[in-house]
Amino acid sequence: MDKDVKVYALSTCPYCRRTKRFLDEHKVPYVATDVDLLDDEKQDDILEEVEKLSGRRSFPVVIVGDEVIVGHDEEKLRKVLGL
Amino acid sequence: MTPGQERVYCPVCQAEFRFADGWAEGSSVICPICGQRLVLRRDGARWVGDRADPMTEKEMRERAENFARLRGYRFSDVKEEIIEGLLGKQKLFGDFYCPCRMLHTPEYQCPCKPTRGGDVDRDGRCYCGFFWK
Repeated sequence: MDKDVKVYALSTCPYCRRTKRFLDEHKVPYVATDVDLLDDEKQDDILEEVEKLSGRRSFPVVIVGDEVIVGHDEEKLRKVLGL
Repeated sequence: MTPGQERVYCPVCQAEFRFADGWAEGSSVICPICGQRLVLRRDGARWVGDRADPMTEKEMRERAENFARLRGYRFSDVKEEIIEGLLGKQKLFGDFYCPCRMLHTPEYQCPCKPTRGGDVDRDGRCYCGFFWK
């Protein structure tokens, strides 16, 4: 797995936590951003990016190369990450 | 105004419900729309319900349990994780807003307006998966 993995999450969202836990358990390195803990300006930028990528403002969003996975979806994560 | 026509304002769901026989100033009642426990207070010409145990885990749990019971909904195995998220929202943003959204307005107080409006009956679950049909 040589693609960068990015996770956009909310600190309060249980599904975001499950996604991070899944990646941790499978020892997948990733960079996670809790969007709700950012200052307003950064938050707006990321919310716009999330909307552009996924068509909505739902969390978690996992970005693996060109692939965008919205919501906690272990099946898709396994497929995209080759687990 | 006759008692049957009087209404009580709920500050959680920001809606009014019917004032029932036997209620008086200081009565402890449950909002039939969102499940919040309220203590009745006369405010000029109208009745207002003050939140009982405001901003506490007890308040939030009781509201959710009451709402589920009133609507005949059940919880899933994510229940405790969602409650943890709701407590996080209260700490970070001042009230029990939906933990799965970036919206911190009264409409998104749990149970959120779409859920109060029938999303669970239509979709089988609320946005968060807290309440299930």
